[in-house]
Amino acid sequence: MIRRLPHGLVATLLVLPAGGYLALFFGLPLVLALLGSFGIYTRGDDGGFTLRHYADLFGTQAYRDGLMFSSYLAIVPTVVSLAISLPLAVALGQTFPGRRLFNALYKVPLVVPGIVAAFIVMTLFDRGGMAARVLAPFGLDLPKLVRDDWAIGVVIATAWKAVPFMTLIIGGSLGSIPKDVLSAARTLGAGPWAVFLRIKLPLALPGITAAFLLTFIGGMGSFAVPNLLGPVYPLPLSVHMYVNAFERNNWGLVAAMGTVLSLISVAVLLLYYRATRSLRSAYGGEHR
Amino acid sequence: MSTIEINDVAKTFGDVTAVAPLDLKVGDGEFLTLLGPSGCGKTTLMRMIAGITLPDRGSIKIAGRDVAALPPERRNVGLVFQSYALFPHMTVGANVGFGLKMRRVSKAETTERVRAALALVDLEPLAARFPRELSGGQQQRVALARAIVIEPDVLLLDEPLSNLDAKLREHLREDLRVLQQRLRVTAIYVTHDQAEAMALADRIIVMRAGKVVEEGAPVALYRAPRTRFAAEFLGQTNVIEITTSGTLPWGDAVRAPAGAVVSIRPEDVILRPDEQGAGRVLGLSFQGATVEYRVDLGGTEVRARDTGTGAPILPEGTTVAVRLNAEPHRLSDAPVRRLVSVP
Repeated sequence: MIRRLPHGLVATLLVLPAGGYLALFFGLPLVLALLGSFGIYTRGDDGGFTLRHYADLFGTQAYRDGLMFSSYLAIVPTVVSLAISLPLAVALGQTFPGRRLFNALYKVPLVVPGIVAAFIVMTLFDRGGMAARVLAPFGLDLPKLVRDDWAIGVVIATAWKAVPFMTLIIGGSLGSIPKDVLSAARTLGAGPWAVFLRIKLPLALPGITAAFLLTFIGGMGSFAVPNLLGPVYPLPLSVHMYVNAFERNNWGLVAAMGTVLSLISVAVLLLYYRATRSLRSAYGGEHR
Repeated sequence: MSTIEINDVAKTFGDVTAVAPLDLKVGDGEFLTLLGPSGCGKTTLMRMIAGITLPDRGSIKIAGRDVAALPPERRNVGLVFQSYALFPHMTVGANVGFGLKMRRVSKAETTERVRAALALVDLEPLAARFPRELSGGQQQRVALARAIVIEPDVLLLDEPLSNLDAKLREHLREDLRVLQQRLRVTAIYVTHDQAEAMALADRIIVMRAGKVVEEGAPVALYRAPRTRFAAEFLGQTNVIEITTSGTLPWGDAVRAPAGAVVSIRPEDVILRPDEQGAGRVLGLSFQGATVEYRVDLGGTEVRARDTGTGAPILPEGTTVAVRLNAEPHRLSDAPVRRLVSVP
């Protein structure tokens, strides 16, 4: 005779492998970081609940500027990359001579690690770099692009990495729009520009926002590139985290910084879901 | 006057000739059907009229205006796709209103015309729904409303019913014909379904391998085809070679010379049980309204169809006499093929 297990228990057992994995490797670290930021179970000091680390973070000018700078490094390179990727993805959807070659070439930065990209930008655009030497005989001088106040070097290196990545995602999402739908819009009187604005753009929006979001979150926590190419002041929060963890052993503050960066990313993620909800339902993925 | 005039239009894709140079005229308010197997060039021809595919050469005139160099958005053509191609991110109302919006028609007029177009296809209450919330038949009617609301010079329909089940297809076919006659719009209908073609068209153009094989009104094309291809593509037929003695293989006299090829429709072959008859029933298939027979007649397998006369079923092996209800129709292109003989 087979004894029947209670329904609830069976469900719990079935969910356990996947749910347990998520809880253990994603949930637990996040919870530990959150607790740590309030001084609970913090490495190196265990003084009980405190808001000291947050007070420290928001009360120190350098950290406030660091938070602003991290947000800047999330937004600006992402916007610049999107401005390049979107037209590029549209262009790659058309047929033109040399398309296949270009299609292979533009993906090269995908296989180059970020730190290598940063060094490439440095050798090219730093004072006395290759670009400066090429331009010098013509009496031209490059503005300061490495370690400059606007972090232009960081923007260049990040965008160089992000453009193929975003183009790939956006191109895939544009390519999945049925050709007949585009043809139908044309026969109904929409020119190429109207087809782009009213059909392609809204239908590719989930892909566009996904690409934007992933690049944004990457920029939020970027460490190596701004450390190499960024200005001396402000430093991004990621660099402050490194310094506080390994030079000052101040893990509570590190946890607070990590929590704030994660919260900003989560907020953007929620905005993404809001922005694409109606579209996902139109595609039939979800029912209202 | 919304006529279409096509002169010397051709299209190749790489090495493949999709449409060989052809001329075609469609009269005002005519319902023309392009009929042929897949890959015969019918869809390519239609896409060239719509402007989605550019012809390699030739001119296309719609309502007297040469449109060959115009992009699709400036041709004023309504196109209904096999895939419906509705905009998934827009409501039914917005889908139908899209063409009017592009034409900068005022909001009030758009609302009224969208309502009227949806009423025409019986979908008025569904204007606020999204396409995915509709059945296939409803989606197809939205596509139709979207194409006619712009009052196109020509309505192009690319196998619009082939994704629907048989019953719905027949129902929508009738609706479509009524609608086209009411609107008096010139229409070109692409299909590989001969029954659909005959039920809808004023005129059928039979295509094969990028060429027009034959054209004509449905009745004439069915009853008196010139070519073997058209005879066989429109319904079933028996293609039979006249013997050297100038008779049908089972000895019946015929008004055609020896070696000629004739077409005999199965429904014109009337069977009657007769011990002295020339034929023997090889097999039958009961299909409700009709009974299909395969009969051995003088070593030739002939198809016969009892179209609901209520005559008793003739079992396999019955010896039968044969009478032809119509004079065998001689095919003039007559490609002689070795006929399958019955052991």
